[in-house]
Amino acid sequence: MPDHQRHPDGHIGSLVISALFVLMGIIALYDTTGYSDRDSQVFPRTVAIMMILTAGLSLITRFLHPSDSGGFGTGTWWRRVLLVVAMFAGCLAIPHIGFLASGAIAFAGGLIAAMHDRWTPITALLYAGCGAAVMIAFLALFRYVLHVPLP
Amino acid sequence: MEFGHFLSALTPFNLVLALFGVVAGTVVGSIPGLTATMALAVLVPITFSMDPASALILLGAIYTGAIYGGAYAAILLNTPGTPSAIATTFDGYPMAKRGDGDLAVALACFASVVGGLVGAFSLLLLAPPLSKVALAFGPIEYFWLSIFGLSLIASLSTGNLMKGLAGGAFGMLLSTVGVAEVSADIRLTFGSQMLVGGFGVIGALIGLYCIPVLIDLVATPDRHLKMEEDVRSVRIGEAFRIAARSKINLIRSSVIGTLIGILPGAGGSVAGLVAYSEAKRTGKPHQKFGEGEPDGILATESANNATVGGGFIPTLVLGIPGTPPDAIVLGALLVQGVRTGPTMFSQSGSIVFTFIYGLLIATVLMLPAGLLIGRYAYKSIVNIPKAVLVPTVGFMTIIGTFSIRNSVTDVILMLGLGVFGWVVGRFGFAASPIVLGLILGPIAEQGFVQGWTIGSATGNLFGMFFGRPISQGIIAFTLITLILPLYTARRRRRKEREQT
Repeated sequence: MPDHQRHPDGHIGSLVISALFVLMGIIALYDTTGYSDRDSQVFPRTVAIMMILTAGLSLITRFLHPSDSGGFGTGTWWRRVLLVVAMFAGCLAIPHIGFLASGAIAFAGGLIAAMHDRWTPITALLYAGCGAAVMIAFLALFRYVLHVPLP
Repeated sequence: MEFGHFLSALTPFNLVLALFGVVAGTVVGSIPGLTATMALAVLVPITFSMDPASALILLGAIYTGAIYGGAYAAILLNTPGTPSAIATTFDGYPMAKRGDGDLAVALACFASVVGGLVGAFSLLLLAPPLSKVALAFGPIEYFWLSIFGLSLIASLSTGNLMKGLAGGAFGMLLSTVGVAEVSADIRLTFGSQMLVGGFGVIGALIGLYCIPVLIDLVATPDRHLKMEEDVRSVRIGEAFRIAARSKINLIRSSVIGTLIGILPGAGGSVAGLVAYSEAKRTGKPHQKFGEGEPDGILATESANNATVGGGFIPTLVLGIPGTPPDAIVLGALLVQGVRTGPTMFSQSGSIVFTFIYGLLIATVLMLPAGLLIGRYAYKSIVNIPKAVLVPTVGFMTIIGTFSIRNSVTDVILMLGLGVFGWVVGRFGFAASPIVLGLILGPIAEQGFVQGWTIGSATGNLFGMFFGRPISQGIIAFTLITLILPLYTARRRRRKEREQT
């Protein structure tokens, strides 16, 4: 599990997330009214009510007894954002440029995001070479051994 | 059960097949997204030209190796390689983070071997009577079994019970997204074509467990796993002593795994969760489950490997596959012209017993093979620079998720769920209850709706849900699991008050 740094924003964040769960429960409950069969309704409706109740209780408890647990903690934000954006960009590009090129986008983004040491020509070449080898090996395994139709 | 069958299983060809199967299965199982089912489906054509017993030995060895292989990614990357290894992440990753990953890998290997042997011996000695257990379980028993699994949320959410329950409910709601199995209604898609296929369990597992770890890893320059100054080999002696000390836990979890393996549709993930729950319930006060407790790994890994032998019981005796990999083995048997059923043990005894002995041998071979692979897996993960590890794992999550249904949508959902899991995880909504809900939700829904329909039709709804002996037993265990921790905590608080 990720370490949870103590942070004053934890209280507000916890309230917001609890409220979000309540909202999602209400939306799910509303969605169940459109099902044609009672068998399809009963389970999601029960679960949605349970989610509203438990998240609502969590919201009330946190509101009445504020605590500072949770929060986004320390760390560099641009690295987190770069990793996520690169992975999303890579996925969205798969149908257009194929798996290898889109995998390279995701890999490059992850490499830059995770590199905390100073870049040197040797590390750049070495890590890029490792990335190419890993991607080609996995592509070969999935495409030719496991017969996965990679775009 | 003649000695000749044992010797047939010991031929050099069968031994090579067993070793190859275990190694191949372990490697495949360790890659997030690749499951035992996929490994078997890919390799099943090569068995068509073999004699039936050898073919079964190869398939059984791949299956058992893949279930064990799931533990590597669970321990070293916090990503269950297979759904069976979900509960292995609870204590495995904390152990790896504090520098005990080598010990955790060795414990997983010992536990898998013990569980595999208990399952295989049950198949050898008790298959016909145990197969009746599968028939005794109706939809209501499945419903209560899933509720028992969900009761684990209470113990996983210490101090955050409401958040844990809300997370569990969210997971169950996620499991209902897409086309309803019972009545084919389209649920919770809000008109989006992307969501019609629903959330795949494996993609969701990868997203919820792996993506948050990657997001946290890139943010700081800290090492991904603590590295000891003197890099030790896998700590076999220490792991053996711990396993020997926890023999009751090992045997109990293996029996749980065997029994749950017998139940069609339940599988290794449910077995691992139930065994973990039991280990935690019966654990000593000083044991800190969820923070790197070796008994957690022993319970999960022995239970999930015991489902292999357990799952073959209804497959061979009744022709009912217990899990998807069992279904593939059943298909392979049909191709070979072998008919499963109650008479299989008498009519095709040489095939069945040679296969069971082969499974036993493959399980024993898993010990050296698993420890050797584990040693290199641990050393590689510890020594690889974080800058290379993060994008490599990221690439594996993308290709692994894509390969399940050949769908880019699944990859996008996996990533979206991962980011969501990271955000809510920072505020006390842990991933594990969501995953529990997602996995157990469909079992609970199917059992609940079928039970409700039968109960309504017979005019005995209360009796249907609460009047059946097996259901009553599971309900009793569920209540004990829920109430006992509260009672113990209350008693401890009272003692502390009296002392002060």
